[in-house]
Amino acid sequence: MNELIPLMVIVPLMAGLLISAFSKFNKATKIFAFVVAICLPIIPLASNYGLHFFGGYEPIVDNVTSVMFHPAITYSFTFLQQIFIAMIGILTFLVVFIYLTKYKEISGPYLFLLFLGTAAVTAMLLTDDIFHMFVFFEILALAQVGIVAASSIDYSYEMALKYMILGSIGSPIMLLGIGFLLAMTGSVNVTDIAVAVHNGLVDITSPVFLLSLGLIFFGWLYASGLPPFHTIKSGIYSKAEPHGAALLQSFTVISMISIVLIMFRIYSTLPIFEVLIVFFSILAMILGVSLALTQTDFRRMIGFLAVGELGFIGLGIGLGTQYAITAGLFQALNEIIITALLFIGFGAIVNATNEVDTRKLGGLLAYHPKVSIMLLIGGLAMAGVPPLSGFQSKLMLVQASLSCGYPEISILAIMVSIATFVVFVKTYYSMFLKPKPTELKVENMEVPRAMIFAMGVLLIIIVVLGIFPDVVTAGISNFVGGIL
Amino acid sequence: MAQTQLVILFTSAALIIIGLYSAIFIDNIIKKIIGISFIEEGANLFIVAIGYKPGGVVPILMPGMDTSWFAANAAYPLPFGLVLTSIVIGASTLAVMLALVMVLYRRYGTLSTKVMLADTSKQEEYNE
Repeated sequence: MNELIPLMVIVPLMAGLLISAFSKFNKATKIFAFVVAICLPIIPLASNYGLHFFGGYEPIVDNVTSVMFHPAITYSFTFLQQIFIAMIGILTFLVVFIYLTKYKEISGPYLFLLFLGTAAVTAMLLTDDIFHMFVFFEILALAQVGIVAASSIDYSYEMALKYMILGSIGSPIMLLGIGFLLAMTGSVNVTDIAVAVHNGLVDITSPVFLLSLGLIFFGWLYASGLPPFHTIKSGIYSKAEPHGAALLQSFTVISMISIVLIMFRIYSTLPIFEVLIVFFSILAMILGVSLALTQTDFRRMIGFLAVGELGFIGLGIGLGTQYAITAGLFQALNEIIITALLFIGFGAIVNATNEVDTRKLGGLLAYHPKVSIMLLIGGLAMAGVPPLSGFQSKLMLVQASLSCGYPEISILAIMVSIATFVVFVKTYYSMFLKPKPTELKVENMEVPRAMIFAMGVLLIIIVVLGIFPDVVTAGISNFVGGIL
Repeated sequence: MAQTQLVILFTSAALIIIGLYSAIFIDNIIKKIIGISFIEEGANLFIVAIGYKPGGVVPILMPGMDTSWFAANAAYPLPFGLVLTSIVIGASTLAVMLALVMVLYRRYGTLSTKVMLADTSKQEEYNE
């Protein structure tokens, strides 16, 4: 059913608006939000692969040159979109479920922001139109700022404003890059632009084309939280509610892969493109894990580790072979799940202790054994310990860099994984294994069941993908073969 | 390239450079936001310039117009459509930024970015 393709964006968008408008009917709104959240992963799984042309305007083919022109916004739905949209749907459901069970009186605008962000990243994944992608990139930034500002954590407004200011500089710069592409090709459809570039209708050595790459690349760095934006990105995770941070990091990963795949289709003929991506990815890996090592606030620690993991994704895509890009995209899928598990798990600890400083925590294994075990498995998955999903994707990345002739990159990837393991074990020891400080009060003995349920679901996915990676890698590999 | 188009492109570049200077180097948050608006408007103006056609007509096909004459003389409508959307998004982000500034101004009593947006981790340590 190709009619379901636009519904993946429309349903969360409209539901968010309705929830915001009718939030005074608390119970009815809660039920409605819950039902919509369940539908989010079901719609992509029920939909057929294919294209959707808005307004029914199908591509026009020039009879003389056989060049195709897309007059309307086009959504493309393949296995890659299906798996990522379904995963973001599951995560949104879990986050909404945690939120609905945590508070008696819900905030309609907050739920609206959660659904708005989901709709925005879904549209970014589906669209074949670079300007449409930019519009939802801006909408996503607004949703992210709202989610951070709505949290009750100190200095969340300051962090939200900082992020907004940087975003407001990054977005017009990206728009300018899109403008240059429009000036050269007369289109904003990615397929049309890619055809023009690959058929020699655009001079790829012209300064204007290179400038457009630089400008869009800058916007991508901001969207992905890669250096120099790594500090602000980890900052916004630490100032959001833990379940909100779980969703925010998934938004970052999806926007990162959406933009980079579009850039790949347009600029892959430029050798500098892959060099740039690999350079910034390696920088993110090193900076992310080094800064994580120095943190005492565990929310910020996970934020920096998440930035380091983004580097692995970029590395796979930057290497540019079918196997490497598949590994990078598989790593993206794993990061969404693993980091969400860690944010939710550590959120349970904040809920129990009202403390985020690892120096002031300790002995929590006796109080929260379920959370501690699930967090341990999540941390091991992030560090790439077999047989968990993180191991599979990192192994693929190491193999890919070896087969591309870069053994030094594979050594670096292994070293960063070991460092990630060290960071996690250090934090885990501080929180769960060392003796409990006398001044630490464990206030809430019970961790909310919704959080345990969410962690359990994510853990099952991590283990299943670790044992049967082919379930997703085969489909992703086919998709990558199509764009190469 | 038409002279008008060249003037528009230079104006757009000037707006972006002034905006970047203001957004990066000026301490007052309101002036910073005005600078950000300059960058946005500069980018919009650039896209408008792409659609400019010397001696062109508005790209709306009116009854009675010859379609081949219209196709040859109408300006390219896509950039204008994009800019319209971009302006709406820019207005939304501007509104959110100003709302956040209002809250922070009430809290700190100043519009200085150095005070308002000092490193939040340092602020936390200072408060402790």
